[in-house]
Parts: sequence; C-alpha cells; structure tokens
Amino acid sequence: MKSTILSLALILATGLAFAQKKTTTSAIVSFDATTSLDQLPKAENKTVIAALDPKSGNIAFEVNIKNFAFSNPRIQEHFNNAGWMHSDKYPTAVFKGSIINLSSIKFTKDGTYPAEVNGDMTIHGVTQAVKTTGSITVKGKEITANAEFSIKLSDYAVDGSAVGAGKVSKEPKITVTAVF
Amino acid sequence: MRFQCLNMVYLLYMLTTNINPRYKKWLIALFVLLLAGGAAIWWIFTEKFTDTAAVKADHTVNAMDFIKEFKTDLALANKKYTEKIIVVNGTVSEIKYADTTANIIMADTASGAYVIFAFQQQHLAAAKALKVGETVSIKGSCSGGTYSEILETQSISFKRCAVNK
Repeated sequence: MKSTILSLALILATGLAFAQKKTTTSAIVSFDATTSLDQLPKAENKTVIAALDPKSGNIAFEVNIKNFAFSNPRIQEHFNNAGWMHSDKYPTAVFKGSIINLSSIKFTKDGTYPAEVNGDMTIHGVTQAVKTTGSITVKGKEITANAEFSIKLSDYAVDGSAVGAGKVSKEPKITVTAVF
Repeated sequence: MRFQCLNMVYLLYMLTTNINPRYKKWLIALFVLLLAGGAAIWWIFTEKFTDTAAVKADHTVNAMDFIKEFKTDLALANKKYTEKIIVVNGTVSEIKYADTTANIIMADTASGAYVIFAFQQQHLAAAKALKVGETVSIKGSCSGGTYSEILETQSISFKRCAVNK
C-alpha cells in the first residue's frame, strides 16, 4: 500500500515537473546581415531570456537589443542608433508564440524533433505574425530549442540609409539557441 | 609597405612630371587627400573592440547596490550606466553554460533581479573556472537593464566582460 502511494506521488511529482515552465537567462540569438559590400553587420547576444512550457507548447524570448556584441565599434553604434534599431526607444525585441505540432514532441524521450512555431515577433516597436520551423532536442533533463529563419527589415520599419545603400542585408538571417 | 609607398610616390612624380606646375600641386594635394580618406575608412572598418581588461572603468560598483539602483529608477540607472565600462564586485550566484560559452550571474535572491555577464572569448576560460559562491570582480560593457515579463524581474546585461584581476 505504502509503495503504491509512493509510486503515485512520484508519478504526480514527475507530471508537475514537466508541467512547469522552463526558463533560461542565457539563450543565444545571433544575426547575420552581411552583404557583398559589408561583412561587418553581424552580432551575437548571449543573454537572451527564454521560456518554454512543455505542457502548453508556449515559447517566448526577450532580447536586450543593446547586448548584441559586434566586433566593430562603429557598426555597433550604427546598429543601436535611430537609423537602425533605435535601441534607446525600443530596448527589447520580443517573441511570444507556441509550438503547433506539440503532440509529436516527446519531452520525456531523448531525441530531436521538428517543431513548427507560430507567434508574434516585436522588433523596433512593430509586431508581426511569424511562422517558422525549428527543432527541439531532448537529452535527459535538458531541452534544447533551435531555430534559423530570416526576417524582412522592412516589415519592422527598419529602413536606415545603410540598408538602402546595400551595406546591410534587407533580410538578415537569425539563429536562435535556447538550452532549458 | 615602405617599398609600396615609395613606388606610389615615384608613380605620382612620373605622372605629374609633364604637367603644368600650377596644376601639379593641386593634383598632389588631391592625391594626398584621397590617400588620407582611404586610410581613415580602412581604419574605421577594421577597428575592433579592445580587450576590456585593458580599458579604464567608468564606475566601480557593488552588485547588490547596482541592482538596487536599477530597481529604484530604471531610466535613471540606464542613463548613468548604459554603454559604460563598469567593474562589478559581487558573489557568483549561478554559472549558465550554453553552447561553448558560459555566463556569470549575480542575483538578488529576495527579488530575483540579477546582473548577467557575457565574456570576451579570451576571458571565457577564466569565467568558466569561477565557482558558485565565489567573490569576484568582473569588468564589462553595461548594456542596461530591462524588466523581463517572462521572469517578472529586472535583468541587467553586460557584454565583452573580463574577470577583473
């Protein structure tokens, strides 16, 4: 009897653990907006806040724009100023969405699963609906979410002179990695 | 490089030998101007951030007092510290490993507010060698604080950090 109660309690505790939202303060978002004219506009942000709820499939990211680290000081300055990201006015980029093929992802079984994600992305104060495909890798207690996609800067009203001059790609590639 | 410069000067001399001396000085001036402009553009586009360890800090703070400043007045603290080089003294609360990198966190356990440091490549090994509970001094470029709706607390981010020895 005691062992049955203990087993039930264990199953319940395991279920609750998976129902909990998982978060990290150290997701990585990088972008590559290089062109044949300029190889400098690319950067990485290693302190992105992310959340994943394996039960509901909700997934979210918050990016402090100023924490994108560039190799070149001048490009970093341009990136943050009013002509590009205007990070004083719009300090964060946010994604809120959900995994729509949640039933095909087994969070209790090791493996890599394709994940289709729908959601809203807010960059430069403009919110757009986005749909992308990524992957979820389960290894023991660790869940890793990966995605790679492009955005159109014009969709987010990012249209500085460098973009018009062809020095910054109009459709930069974004790479996201979050380990929960 | 010296040989190339001498070659250019010689070429310039040859090209301007048969030119009216009145125009010659203007052509030389234009050439020097173009050369200087080219050098300036080359310098701007090849410039790299220097090692943070070698940069003089604008402020030195205690981690808990620093977090308190951001909690008290986020806008004021952002104005004071953002894009400045800061030395933060405190205790390592957590080390977050992601991919090949590691971030150090100093957190206020009462509110959950925290400072997070991402390191320059050359200082990553020193960051990974730190232990939770260790008192440490970290120098980095402050990217300011934001309120996280996910974590429901303040987050203050740093980039290009170095363990301050």
